Amino acid sequence: MNKKTFFTLLFAVVFSLCAYSQKTTLTVLDYIDATAPGYAEVQSVWQRFMVDNPDIEIVKEDLSNEPFHQKLAAYVAAGTVPDVVYMYPSGRSTILHDQKLVKDLEPLLGKEYLSAFIPAVLDTAGQKGGYLAELPQSICYSTVVYVNTKLLSDLRLKVPKTYKELRAMVPRLKAKGIRPVLMANKDDWVMQSCLFSTIVGRMVGDDWIDRALAGKVKFTDKEFVKALEFVQTMYKDGVLGRDTIQISYGEAPALFAAGKAAFFIDGDWRQNSFLTDPKSGVALIDPAKQETDFQFINFPAIPGEKNPGAVSAILGCGYGISASIPAGSAKEKAAVRLVKYLYSREVQTTILELGRYITSRKDVTSDALEPFIPKMKAYYASTSKTCYVLDGALDTSVYTPLNLGLQEIGLGTKTPEQVARTVQDALDLWLAAHKK
Amino acid sequence: MIRRNRKGAEGRRAYRSMVLPPFLIYIFVTAFPIALAVILSLSNYNGGKMFGGEPWKIVGFEQYGKLFADPYFWNALRNNIYIVLISVFGQLPLGFLLAYLIYRKIVKFGGFWQGILYVPAIISVIVIGIMWSIIFSPYGPIADAVNRVYSSAYSAKVSALLRSPGGEGVTDELVDGIIDISGSTVGDIFSDPRADLKDFLQSYEPEDLPMLKEDLVNLFAHKWNADFLSKPGVAMIPILFVTLWCWTGVYLIIFHANMQKIDTQIIDAARIDGATEMQVMGRIVLPSLSGTLLNAAILCISGSLSGFALILAMTGGGPARVTQVLSIYMYDTAFMGAANYPLANAIAMMIVLFSLVLILITFGVEKAFGGKE
Repeated sequence: MNKKTFFTLLFAVVFSLCAYSQKTTLTVLDYIDATAPGYAEVQSVWQRFMVDNPDIEIVKEDLSNEPFHQKLAAYVAAGTVPDVVYMYPSGRSTILHDQKLVKDLEPLLGKEYLSAFIPAVLDTAGQKGGYLAELPQSICYSTVVYVNTKLLSDLRLKVPKTYKELRAMVPRLKAKGIRPVLMANKDDWVMQSCLFSTIVGRMVGDDWIDRALAGKVKFTDKEFVKALEFVQTMYKDGVLGRDTIQISYGEAPALFAAGKAAFFIDGDWRQNSFLTDPKSGVALIDPAKQETDFQFINFPAIPGEKNPGAVSAILGCGYGISASIPAGSAKEKAAVRLVKYLYSREVQTTILELGRYITSRKDVTSDALEPFIPKMKAYYASTSKTCYVLDGALDTSVYTPLNLGLQEIGLGTKTPEQVARTVQDALDLWLAAHKK
Repeated sequence: MIRRNRKGAEGRRAYRSMVLPPFLIYIFVTAFPIALAVILSLSNYNGGKMFGGEPWKIVGFEQYGKLFADPYFWNALRNNIYIVLISVFGQLPLGFLLAYLIYRKIVKFGGFWQGILYVPAIISVIVIGIMWSIIFSPYGPIADAVNRVYSSAYSAKVSALLRSPGGEGVTDELVDGIIDISGSTVGDIFSDPRADLKDFLQSYEPEDLPMLKEDLVNLFAHKWNADFLSKPGVAMIPILFVTLWCWTGVYLIIFHANMQKIDTQIIDAARIDGATEMQVMGRIVLPSLSGTLLNAAILCISGSLSGFALILAMTGGGPARVTQVLSIYMYDTAFMGAANYPLANAIAMMIVLFSLVLILITFGVEKAFGGKE
């Protein structure tokens, strides 16, 4: 090796080392189900960012459902919140908001960038901390009734407009071995988030919840107890089987797609489970059948409801940036660059085409959408009023006994009055702690 | 003298240099977390940074008071006691009996049975938990088998009714007959059972009789459901069964290995003197293994109290916490919903205390009744 070659190689090694040391590493905790359709496409979105930004290295963890929340709680407990974190506007991410563990995105992203989003998602009143801790990717409707219209028409049944009509279908459906309504109630949050919040919104209303939080009315009052009684009625009427409490969140979509139930109640995010996985080309519900055999409707009219048509909705989830990153640092700039990329028109179009959610960006459209996606948009358009998702409105210490109580009503081990008492007791404790 | 002192000093230095590293590791890895858990259980620490975050302080036994007032704690403790009982009085005797049968060659192919019974212990408990949760699910094989039995029994009754005189048209007798064989199920489906059922039956044409039978079976035959899960105690039965199935093989191996150490001449002599197999087991083998039994009981108790993955995978402690045990209760308190770290640490302390009490009882029992190996 001559001198020139030696120095050239030495320079190359030193340059590479310097370049590597200048790389900014970002830790990311993302929420994604590795078994969901489109997982590989989402990974390629991240891969593209790393290729386009060689000065940034992403160390990413992918989790979903309970493991995600538990890992995040562990990170918070250890004081090591990842640099960029997927989070909720309240609910299970409350601690990030309350303890201001993530930065305010408004000054970091800038007004011009944020003007591309619908104003509703920028309303900081919807976020627990009262600031833009995360940029909501969507408005999330937590109650959607997925209807198998083919199954109904085969039995000469019509899509129900009222609960009475839904109740009347029970014998006809059960006679054919079909479950009327399917819900994955094994996870205790599902009933509260995906149905009971809408029931409360219809029968009680958001104002009443606000007054309860102010200590002016009590959950033991007859209005709220009646809402709990309606859940009990659904079980007693056989509209909802008690064995739904044994059905896990993962297995429900496949059961619905297999025609085991006429109706499936879950959030709008669940449509993604039925779409074609671009990698395997397999869909739980074939796109042609999505078009002809299925429909999304609002929950039918409930007897005695005060707010007809209301449906529970909340700001969607999004990415936040850890408050522990020093202001103005290279890491902060890298995190902002990553967040801006994730919300870019290009990425949001890909996400929309995968059917993961209906994006909050105003300038995103696509012709390559499976029928469920425009159907979900149509469902949004058909709902005139929204109401609280209770786990977004109540503190975790209050909605946790509610979640458990709704399961206990399903099991028949507690009455609506007893559940209301437990929730009120939890609220009283919370109110007392906040008065201190 | 000087030489001896120097030797002593060198020995002490060597001793310290060898003991210090593992001692420090023990302090930081074991003792410090335990001490921190005790401190946290007495504090009002609310998450976030422990040092430099929101200030927190020692508030005394507040969390322990909350714990004792929480019915879910007592429920979890009761479920743990069930698991301890099935482990100590189920796994150990069964493991011992099976080991004895193999040891004394009372059953053929001992090695085969030993292998088969040990297999569950080498499979991941998460896999076992998921597998059994599928087996017990509303769409699982047990539900399917039980529902087939229910359906065929009901189908026979319906067929007899529809064949009997007067069963051709929808008569009041037919309606009464169906209500009679269906029990309360008709009332669960129809608000006015007699009138609604009559309307329902009349909606079928005479040529639809096979379809009507099938539909009536779907509607009114008894179904396997989750009702048993609502009854505290009964809800734990599937978990207790799986616990027994999963770990008995481990104790079989332990007991069988220790039985090999017993002098066979003693057993042979006893047999020549006319001792029965039961007497050999009760008077020779069992006392010889009392120390092993004690160790196995301690293993059982500690395993039962720290058992987490199997139940988490099977039921997650649900529904509505009826199958929750202390370890899941602690985990839920720390990581789910309203995270309460002091309370979670108080639960951890209670687990330690409970296991200490049980182990002391086991020592007492061994001292009182145990033999010498």
